[in-house]
Amino acid sequence: METATQEALKKLFESKLNKAMRLYLDTCAHCGLCVEACHVYQAMPETKYTPVGRAEVVRKLFKRYFKVQGKIAPWLGEVIELDDKSVDMAYEAAFSCTGCRRCVTVCPFGIDTQQVMNIAKLLLIGAEKQPQILSMLSDMSIAKGETWKETADDYIAALNNLAPEVEALAPTPPGRPTIPIDVENANVLYVGLSGKHSIVPAAAILNAARENWTISHFEAVNFAAWLGDGEKQRLIAKRIIMEAERLKVKEVAVVECGTATRVLKFMTGSHPFKIVSIVELIARYIEQGRIKVKSGTISGTLTYHDPCQLGRNGGVMEEPRYIIGKLTDKFVELTPNKEANWCCGGGGGLISLGEHEFRMKTGKVKADQMRASKADTICTACENCHTQLTELNEHYELGMKVESLTNLVAHALTGFGA
Amino acid sequence: MDPQAVSQGAANAVSAASAVAGNEQAAASGAVQAVSAASQAVVHTGFALFLDKLYYFIMVPLVYISIIVMIVGIVAKIMSIVRAPIPAFSLKTYPAKKRPFLAALADTFGMPMIRKEKPLFWFFLMMFHIGIFFLFFGHLDLFPGVNLMPPQSRHMIGAGAVGLSVTIPTFYFLFRRFKGQERHISVPSDYLLLLLLLFIFLLGDMISWGNSWTAHGFVMTKADFKNYFGILKSFSFADPRTVLHGSHYHFVVAHVFLAELFMMILPFTKIVHTFFSLPLNLLRRR
Repeated sequence: METATQEALKKLFESKLNKAMRLYLDTCAHCGLCVEACHVYQAMPETKYTPVGRAEVVRKLFKRYFKVQGKIAPWLGEVIELDDKSVDMAYEAAFSCTGCRRCVTVCPFGIDTQQVMNIAKLLLIGAEKQPQILSMLSDMSIAKGETWKETADDYIAALNNLAPEVEALAPTPPGRPTIPIDVENANVLYVGLSGKHSIVPAAAILNAARENWTISHFEAVNFAAWLGDGEKQRLIAKRIIMEAERLKVKEVAVVECGTATRVLKFMTGSHPFKIVSIVELIARYIEQGRIKVKSGTISGTLTYHDPCQLGRNGGVMEEPRYIIGKLTDKFVELTPNKEANWCCGGGGGLISLGEHEFRMKTGKVKADQMRASKADTICTACENCHTQLTELNEHYELGMKVESLTNLVAHALTGFGA
Repeated sequence: MDPQAVSQGAANAVSAASAVAGNEQAAASGAVQAVSAASQAVVHTGFALFLDKLYYFIMVPLVYISIIVMIVGIVAKIMSIVRAPIPAFSLKTYPAKKRPFLAALADTFGMPMIRKEKPLFWFFLMMFHIGIFFLFFGHLDLFPGVNLMPPQSRHMIGAGAVGLSVTIPTFYFLFRRFKGQERHISVPSDYLLLLLLLFIFLLGDMISWGNSWTAHGFVMTKADFKNYFGILKSFSFADPRTVLHGSHYHFVVAHVFLAELFMMILPFTKIVHTFFSLPLNLLRRR
């Protein structure tokens, strides 16, 4: 590695050294408590797949370049140099971590491996060794933010084509479009994904609730969050924030996407509008009696997978259970669940990267959980988790149905206009 | 004067004092005075003289130096964190606690996550940290004017049990690093730090156990250590040899030296978790 590159990487590293990061890098006692907490390690018990093993790649670089010990007695902390080898190690560490933060909950100091991995990811960007697919998808999202007006007509036409499917689930309130767009002063701005599966059920629920809502021109997913590029992450989120400001909405409801929800809800500062997950909104509608759902529309027993970014990292754990309680009385929990739930193995951008073999291996602990639940159907509230669970279901021949919670609710809607 | 003759004289004096005196305390006192007189009468040359000077440096100036290094290091470390930018968003995990500060305190001092995942490890960690707490007071008790234990008692706080409560867990902490993933994630500084602690504790145990668990007590009494701490407190720079008598002085010097090493490296090692554990736990709670 050239000296200039090395210097540039050091500066990038330093740019990430905020209070939390300094504490994370200085304090680890190597107690090893986090080791067993990682689903990747559970499937592939190697040191490099432990949270501490991953963080050590960054920590050893930190010691080498930012601590006295690394300069006078590097052997004490087995420091490593910033070179091609360590960049490769950083890649393996960063992209074998789904950022589920299960390790945070067992670490006696709460060291956040996901945050530490953001340093590794930034070094990869600096060394131009980041996953190109995530870079490309991030750039496309940013470009969409700049050119959305040019494609708006096509988008609106496509939305109109979905109207019959929405109507089949719930009637549109009189005098309103089935999938409204660009509605100023709407109560809710719904941000979906690019597929109709993320739009149709949500639109039906919002219409059944007779909500004054509008749909976003953008998809919620934030590829840059997985890439570890803070600036791109901000730009992607900013498109939606600006749209909400332009339309003067009261609330932004984010599709079933854990990372998008977490980024928008917690990482974009304060706004004159609330940001919630669609799951929270549905729970509120049921609680307020604005929508009614039929119990017993799901055959057999149902279980729920807590998406890490929505549950442990977003606090949405009781709402899905409340909704499920209205849908069925044959609910069984996965063990463990809620904040202790195992990651499905699809987070951190691994779905976008492909990585099928790795994901199937590391998803074994989740597959075992699913099998042990003996449930007929598993539902979740995250697009990535849904994809991963579907693939695990096939790979491990679990014979379960995999559903999205919003879709289950949409198909159980009843009592319209009551 | 022939050092051998002095030693022999001292030994005879100890023996005579023990034999003649009617009670143990008088015997011990007589012995100490005899040893003290013999020690002071020795004129050291060569390596012994070098050791005298080295021991003096360790027992007096280096105590001050190590405390200064520790304090400056800790302040610098804390300042480096205080000056760093705050994270742009909350890093908490859920479910959110109603009282985040109390939750962080519970995480820091109760370590519930360890109790749940590894109860034996938690048991030794609690034993160790509670022991450290009492060790602090045990040493505070040696300061002139402080009497947490009765002044005439030869016991330190816990009468030797506090030493055990830190020594046994340290053995556990060390041995657990020789197997499984703990071995792979450990770096040389992890082992060296534990070895350093272990030797400090074992030497301290020798002194403490000697005073509490033998008929006559350790050669140096709690009162002698109080006098030594008095020298340090008064900045008189007197030679501790005038108040700490006998050949076991080597062990006391070794104990003090290793403790000084510990203090000097403290700000630069993971021991900073002493100061950072609470702020870290606050990060995930609010």
